[in-house]
Amino acid sequence: MHVNAQPYMQSGVNIDMGAVAATLDYDAELMLRVKEGDGVSFGVLLEKHRASVVHFVYRLVQEQAIAEELSQEVFLRVYRSRSGYEPTAKFKTWLFRIATHLALNWLRDEKHERAQERLDDVSANMPVRQVSDRRLSVEQKLVYEVKLNEIRGAIAALPEKQRAAVLMHKYEEMEYTQIAKVLGCSESAVKSLLFRAYETLRARLAHMG
Amino acid sequence: MNCPIESRDPEMLVALCAGQLDLKTAEALKQHLAACAACRSVAAEQAVVWKALEAWEAPVVSPDFDRRLYRRIDEGARLTWFARFLRSFREMPLRQALPLTATAGLLLMAGFLVQHPIIVAPAAQRQDSVRANQVERTLDDLELLRQFSAAGSASESAHPDAM
Repeated sequence: MHVNAQPYMQSGVNIDMGAVAATLDYDAELMLRVKEGDGVSFGVLLEKHRASVVHFVYRLVQEQAIAEELSQEVFLRVYRSRSGYEPTAKFKTWLFRIATHLALNWLRDEKHERAQERLDDVSANMPVRQVSDRRLSVEQKLVYEVKLNEIRGAIAALPEKQRAAVLMHKYEEMEYTQIAKVLGCSESAVKSLLFRAYETLRARLAHMG
Repeated sequence: MNCPIESRDPEMLVALCAGQLDLKTAEALKQHLAACAACRSVAAEQAVVWKALEAWEAPVVSPDFDRRLYRRIDEGARLTWFARFLRSFREMPLRQALPLTATAGLLLMAGFLVQHPIIVAPAAQRQDSVRANQVERTLDDLELLRQFSAAGSASESAHPDAM
């Protein structure tokens, strides 16, 4: 049975997907509907989680084009595996497990020298939205960019699992148990990862206070 | 309240900065910070780190993200069964693909032997013919494995591993 993955775009009906997907436990239910062939539900899940997945992967790999490509692969695999989906964990946990796996594999495939080259080449790494406040002076913008590069460098210097744990903990506000399921380790291991990661970040960034 | 650093539970200080503690625990920890310089120092540094991380904004997602994704979904739906079969190998890490291809090669060889059983030659000629047959079959098997490995490794370098 061919599933039209874009019915909501073609129906002409204006659907507030943010409101539809507001309930946290609703995600697994939506995915079960996708399993039954409901393309609209896939669109709702995509609308709800697109930004967080792209942002998470971006902060891991620190290249926007790569982040979007990997993020598309995440949703592609979610869609392809719909027939075998079982809600054994929260949908977001499963989603971020796929995202983390793809991003960490990409990082391991890359050379360490490439990572250093990316950090050195500021213009190539500049995100689309760098400074949103146009009232900032040129000097303030420069200070902000220096600070930003320092933050990105500190995150990039963390070991991969520590980096992923920090990003999930800080930006996704995920609990230890959820991070543990994503990384495939124990909750105590996650606490240890976060402790060491934040200890390293404090050493590198505490002077910014 | 026990000192988080002395009780080897410094995650509480991180949780305090992250706003993840319940009100009662947070208040108790804040009272402790007033009396403990070590914890106060760590908490202050962690607050700086937290604020710095908050300043790191992620870029806006491209407006054509969904369109490109759905195009890839539609393209995948049009693949033949054989292309999807090969895709499953491309998405597989090499450490999984090689044993599977080796197993597939062995199964194919076993099937070949069932169809073409080895005929035992007279003792005088057995040694030479066995050697020649073995060489020929080994070359066939190696070619088969090479084809599977080439299909797996060529795409392994280009695509992330599957879950």
